[in-house]
Amino acid sequence: MPRYLIRRLGQAVLVVAGVIVLTFAVMRLVPGDPAVAYAGPKATAAELAEARRQFGLDDPLPVQLWNYVRDLLGGDWGTSLHTRQPVRDDLFQAFPASLELVGAALIIALVAGIPLGIAAARYKGRLPDLSVRLSSMLAVSVPVFWLALALQTVFASGLGWFPVAGEYDASLDRTSPLHLYTNITAVDALITGNWPILTSTLSHLVLPALVIAAYPAGVVAQMTRAALIEESSRDHARLERALGFGETAVLTRFALRPALNPVLSLIALVFAYSIVNGFLVEAVFNWPGLGRYAADSIRSLDTPAIAGVTLLVAVLYVVANLAVDLLQGVVDPRVRAR
Amino acid sequence: MTAPVLPLRRTPLRRLAGVDRLAVAGAVLLGIVVLAALLAPWIAPYPEDGGSATHPLEALLPPSGAHWFGTDQVGRDVLSRVLFGARTSLLIAVAVLAVSGVAGVVLGVVAGYAGGWARDVIMRVTDIFLAFPALLLSLALAVVLQPSVTTVIVAIAVTWWPWYARLTASVAASVATRGFVDSARCLGVPAPLIVLRHVLPNSLTPVLVQLSLDGGGVILTAAALSYLGLGAHEPTSEWGLMVQQGQSLFTTDWWVVTFPGLAILVTAFAFNVLGEGLRARLSR
Amino acid sequence: MRWHKRLLAAGAVAAVTVTAAACAGGQVRGAADSTPQPGSSAGSAGGTADSTFVYVPNLDVVTDWDPASSYSNEIVAMQNIYESLTRYNPQTKKAEPRLASSWTSSPDGKKWTFTLREGAKFHTGKPVDAAAAKAAIERTMKEGQGAAYIWGAVDKIEAKDATTLEFTLKYAAPLDLVASAGYASYVYDTTAASGDLKKWFGEGHDAGSGPYTIENWQKGKETELTLKAFDGYWGGWDGQHYKKIAYRVTPELTTAWQLLQRGEVSFVQRLNSQLFAQAGSTDTVQTSQTPSFQNLLVLFNTADGPLKDVKLRQALQKAIDYDGLVAALKGAGVAAGGLVPEGLLGNIPGMTPKQDLAGAEALLKEAGYGPGGRQLELTLTYAQGDSDQELLVTLLSSALDKLNVKLSAKPLQWTTQWDQGKAKDPSKRQDIFVMYWFPDYADAYSWFVNVFHGEKDVQFNLSYLKDAAIDKEIDELPALTATDKAAAEKAYADLQNKIINEQAAVAVPYVQNYQRAFAKSVQGYVDNPAYPNVVFVYDLKPGA
Repeated sequence: MPRYLIRRLGQAVLVVAGVIVLTFAVMRLVPGDPAVAYAGPKATAAELAEARRQFGLDDPLPVQLWNYVRDLLGGDWGTSLHTRQPVRDDLFQAFPASLELVGAALIIALVAGIPLGIAAARYKGRLPDLSVRLSSMLAVSVPVFWLALALQTVFASGLGWFPVAGEYDASLDRTSPLHLYTNITAVDALITGNWPILTSTLSHLVLPALVIAAYPAGVVAQMTRAALIEESSRDHARLERALGFGETAVLTRFALRPALNPVLSLIALVFAYSIVNGFLVEAVFNWPGLGRYAADSIRSLDTPAIAGVTLLVAVLYVVANLAVDLLQGVVDPRVRAR
Repeated sequence: MTAPVLPLRRTPLRRLAGVDRLAVAGAVLLGIVVLAALLAPWIAPYPEDGGSATHPLEALLPPSGAHWFGTDQVGRDVLSRVLFGARTSLLIAVAVLAVSGVAGVVLGVVAGYAGGWARDVIMRVTDIFLAFPALLLSLALAVVLQPSVTTVIVAIAVTWWPWYARLTASVAASVATRGFVDSARCLGVPAPLIVLRHVLPNSLTPVLVQLSLDGGGVILTAAALSYLGLGAHEPTSEWGLMVQQGQSLFTTDWWVVTFPGLAILVTAFAFNVLGEGLRARLSR
Repeated sequence: MRWHKRLLAAGAVAAVTVTAAACAGGQVRGAADSTPQPGSSAGSAGGTADSTFVYVPNLDVVTDWDPASSYSNEIVAMQNIYESLTRYNPQTKKAEPRLASSWTSSPDGKKWTFTLREGAKFHTGKPVDAAAAKAAIERTMKEGQGAAYIWGAVDKIEAKDATTLEFTLKYAAPLDLVASAGYASYVYDTTAASGDLKKWFGEGHDAGSGPYTIENWQKGKETELTLKAFDGYWGGWDGQHYKKIAYRVTPELTTAWQLLQRGEVSFVQRLNSQLFAQAGSTDTVQTSQTPSFQNLLVLFNTADGPLKDVKLRQALQKAIDYDGLVAALKGAGVAAGGLVPEGLLGNIPGMTPKQDLAGAEALLKEAGYGPGGRQLELTLTYAQGDSDQELLVTLLSSALDKLNVKLSAKPLQWTTQWDQGKAKDPSKRQDIFVMYWFPDYADAYSWFVNVFHGEKDVQFNLSYLKDAAIDKEIDELPALTATDKAAAEKAYADLQNKIINEQAAVAVPYVQNYQRAFAKSVQGYVDNPAYPNVVFVYDLKPGA
């Protein structure tokens, strides 16, 4: 196990290093002068030179890269051009909101996707199977920004079942102020027993979380189905059937647990993908997360902010992947041998 | 997003002949979209509206006999623009899949057949690219490049090739250890020829299936980039752009947004159904 | 089930890594840097959401907090925080008392005496007296930024006693109107900061005397800014007033409309024509439509890039579908006659432009472009989230496409668009800059001195026009307006001919009609086009 751990950790560190270099390379492609953008158009030549020096734009590229890495590790992720705040602080504020949204979406996806996958596997080749397969393919084919607009128009504006936009009713900040511990609104409201904000947040969460859940729900349903079918054709399933277990019992009592392993390994991938999908949804629902921050940054040509978001999500993906791999390594020794 | 790795067995294209019903349905649906794209200039009721014509005096007419899908905010026929939009979307999809498919297969075959340090380097590079969800890196690239259809193609292709590289590498590696390749090597057949004659053809089938499965993803990513204003721009007919421009009209003039959105859905769905059907057939 | 635990663990790992540094432990959201004020009536009064007025803009609110140099979208907040000596009334077309209770001018119009209201206090606690007003206006003049030019006629300012402020002018000027300007006319406490005043403002502090003061400002947040009632306001807080104002930035129009429809916000700055029509037939919402002095300017880069060639600029002017645009705006805009909107001295009624594609093609051909020639590639920047400007862009890029001109249009936040326009390196600037302009007080001079007068450092001259003869003629306008109206009118006509026809530095597609939508519960709203997009919230009554 320690050897596997070290190898896997080494790989992850290598990938993170590559991610940093790649982000750096992409951001240096930027046409336009970050010094001008920061120092402002009224800056004198001296101020401009100072800004250049401050940003280290006079140095050769490898030195710039080295400085960039050093700053990142030292916690300096640059200063956003549009909020004028350190990018790191902005991300700390925005990320918990995204995590809340994507977390809710993934819960919905698992709760909906796994039973659907089981149903499809149970009635393989029959109507339930076909409808689950088709609807899960629809779910992964729908453009999220369009689905977001449609659900918002129908369920928030039209029927009035859910709030239109935002994370929770802002006036509650005065009537029942929220104490922050994790910065994730729903979690903080839950642990401090702040029911008004909790219920408000949950009702605001429903629509955007449903939209983001569409894709992972489809993937999870398909994966569960495929893995269950494979699992139930193995020898142990034949034995279980011979022992008199019904088809449903074979699936849910014996085949499900091993079948969920590949589903679990997908979660890391789906998580990162959903965060990015959330970018498109957050803009529509004005959700104060990374997506809104990224959209604002795009419209402000705010490269430090974009670089920060890119880096955060990529690193997050590597970390999540690593965590899943290690967990699987603990649970299933065969993984370590791979 | 990519499907789980395919079973590594020899699967010549010919095996796909007796296709799955799902694959047929997907192929038919996709065929309709392709036909619409090819024939757009002839079947669109107002072909000039797919390009640069505007008729502000006929803005936002609801669907009718004259305009089945209504008109948009500057009076263009939405049906015509949806049909022309199929050209843009399919062009992007084909270009991205071709570029990333070729790049991925070449690198993958090299990695898989050569093995050793070449494999290690290529695989570690793909690891890095795979750490970026496709839309994320495309988004960062599209911000620093000037928005255009070409930018979209480049931005997506850059994030897409590693999938094919990995897939090909794993297939190529397994093919390379097979008996007939060994015999060829012993007979003194030069390595490039072995790759060309034996490794490549055997690696191609799973990649082709994967390509058809990924068409939907490319279409969705491209539409998302245009929706964010980082892709196609006026007066190009592009579905994501149409949704973006019409979104403030959703509550008052639903048709402007609804039809381009449905077009994206149908096309991505067609790709997914086709790919899923092919994969089911292949892994049988 | 075990996978469940694993999943939770994975989630927890991800959550902890990122939020760890943010866990300072239980600070309260929204109250990060506002010290609780004992006895503050804000918020708690009534305890209902009704006492907060929620204003929805589509762009970020604050670019510059310094009342001397502020010259942008933050006017919607500044006018509720700061006050000037007078306020313009669009109905009477006259200035009305604000911080000054009365004023007189000498017969030759060169000496103006304002009597200040007694009992007015700055938010810093200092009384608003003549000396403070003098210091504020002098600082604004000295900074010389933004709209500071409005005080150009002033020779000297004297504080005769605590309430008497006397201006001596270089030439006759309507100083009561000048003092009502939307920008640069604010009276503020110049002694508010112990250190650098500009920096202090920049951190989100204010030193005004208006009914509201800054409670919380978080740039880039959805609710970017909240203002709260200033207890010591001279007007008092008897009767019904909104005790708070929140500015909730909502880039998507549909979202803004739905929020209004649901009663979650009070006022939406701008919808599109379709939503405005829907608002008109919605019970819970009221609408108002008011002609304005705000027109759209399409500024061509006369200094650099392909548009240096005047023929191409003229071709672009001819490519715009003016009639089509006004038709597509469905009431949100009317055709423009020259640079100066109707109702102001200098307006030329006959100067309405028309689309002429054949003419545009001929001009492009002369310059070596056009169908069959080289492809011309141009960049354009405009305000993100503005559906009216988007219509212009759609029509223009379609028309240009027919002429073999490729237009790359980028919607941007105002600060970014402006910064790019002002870039030191001319090659980084855009070819076409789209923005609204409105006068700082009811006078056409603002268009000319700000947008078309040569500048050493670019501010609003975003066509980068530099023409000595035009500059000289512009410089003479104020004195001419004060002394010889007919000559001034002639000068305005001549200037517009030079700028629009000869130099082709700009196209003016339309003049806006302000279309506002606001909650039924808002009582007493009157749109004052002299203060674009401003809602004077103190004057409103929160209804049921």
